[in-house]
Amino acid sequence: MLINFDNAATTFPKPRSVRKAVSEAVELFGGNAGRGGHPLAMRTSAALYSARETAADLFGASPENTVFTLNCTYALNMAIQGIMSGGGHLIISGMEHNSAARPAAALASSGRITLSVAEVFPDDSRTVEAFRSLIRKDTKAVVCTLAGNVTGQIPPWKEIAALCNERDICFIADGAQACGIYDIKMSDGINILCTAGHKGLYGITGTGLLISDGKYPIKPLIQGGTGSASLSLVQPELMPEALESGTPCIIGALSVKAGIEFIRQKGMDSIRSHEERICSRFIKELQAIPGAAVYREPEASYVPVVSFNIGSIPPEQLAAELSEQGFCLRAGYHCAALAHASLGTRNGTIRFSPSVFSCEEQAAALANSIKNISGSGKYQKNY
Amino acid sequence: MRVCIVEMPSYTYAVKGEKLLSSRGYPCKIKRNISASPGSCGYSLFIYKDVKNAVAVLEQYRIPYTRITYGGE
Repeated sequence: MLINFDNAATTFPKPRSVRKAVSEAVELFGGNAGRGGHPLAMRTSAALYSARETAADLFGASPENTVFTLNCTYALNMAIQGIMSGGGHLIISGMEHNSAARPAAALASSGRITLSVAEVFPDDSRTVEAFRSLIRKDTKAVVCTLAGNVTGQIPPWKEIAALCNERDICFIADGAQACGIYDIKMSDGINILCTAGHKGLYGITGTGLLISDGKYPIKPLIQGGTGSASLSLVQPELMPEALESGTPCIIGALSVKAGIEFIRQKGMDSIRSHEERICSRFIKELQAIPGAAVYREPEASYVPVVSFNIGSIPPEQLAAELSEQGFCLRAGYHCAALAHASLGTRNGTIRFSPSVFSCEEQAAALANSIKNISGSGKYQKNY
Repeated sequence: MRVCIVEMPSYTYAVKGEKLLSSRGYPCKIKRNISASPGSCGYSLFIYKDVKNAVAVLEQYRIPYTRITYGGE
């Protein structure tokens, strides 16, 4: 039996209602949305709109500004490259996933933009100051994660968003680790929210969302069929179709709708409390293991994710041994070069991330396995 | 019966317009265009009653459309 503690990568299992929605989508919604007037196309179009409306409502956005993407990486690329297409200065946080850091670095290395990286400290006021000090007259956008994917640290993003809003700087948020457990709203100062559909929203893989408040037009990265203005060779500007060229992942969008309905029924506060309890229990058990290092600071806030190491045991090796016992955890660098550089974790870490379907007993069993591996004498104790 | 056919630039706005009008008591329906309309998404809002006011509501809420024609149903 597998016990998944790699839910920060993608949640598994999926709720029964999501599995049912996927099955129904395959059976019933086999048309192409927004293309054609026959019954299959019409009912598929209506279903996709309904999914769009559900996602928009969750984040306090309008359906036309809610774009389905393949994942959060696509959404971030569309947002960063679309907003920065005319050049300017971009600031990203030092906790960004490569999905934001790489497109930003690529634009900078091609000379099209200038890029600054704002350090994230355990002390929120220092982090806000780090962002403030980097803002220039030509700063066009700021990209900040709502929660880091390595340690789960929550930066003071509302304060950073406020800094941006006061100065007409586009605030782009990466919500991949926060959406579904926090009630994130566009009215919190977010101009563009990018998130995954397959993590805390419990949709299937291959789903993501880009949600805009409509203030900053996003130049499309991809042009193609939108089902509209078909005789024109110019990409239509109207959202969301302008950013949804080609056939969307309709099955995926319907899974996200079911996932959102699931988390709404459970309650985001309740899901978060449940996962936080599991993390607290896990940390407590870990702390009893000699050499355990948990990457959390007392003054910082975290989503339910725990990054750790045990003495000098290579994280990949520990994860491999745990996986032999049925525990699924991700070790290494988690596609987050900046965060690991900032943590100084040259060999990476091992990451524990529960979901609504995890329980404390599983976390305790995992900690016990770690204790046994660590105490087996196989690894040199040089902590 | 004479209907007002509002050709829409996107399916999303067609549904948005339909919901807006229906919630305000203007009976309407999304249908596929019968004739080719290059600027449109191929869908129109068919409005069956109080057309002038219904179109005014669309404009008030900045629901874009590409063309208005009239036809029989």
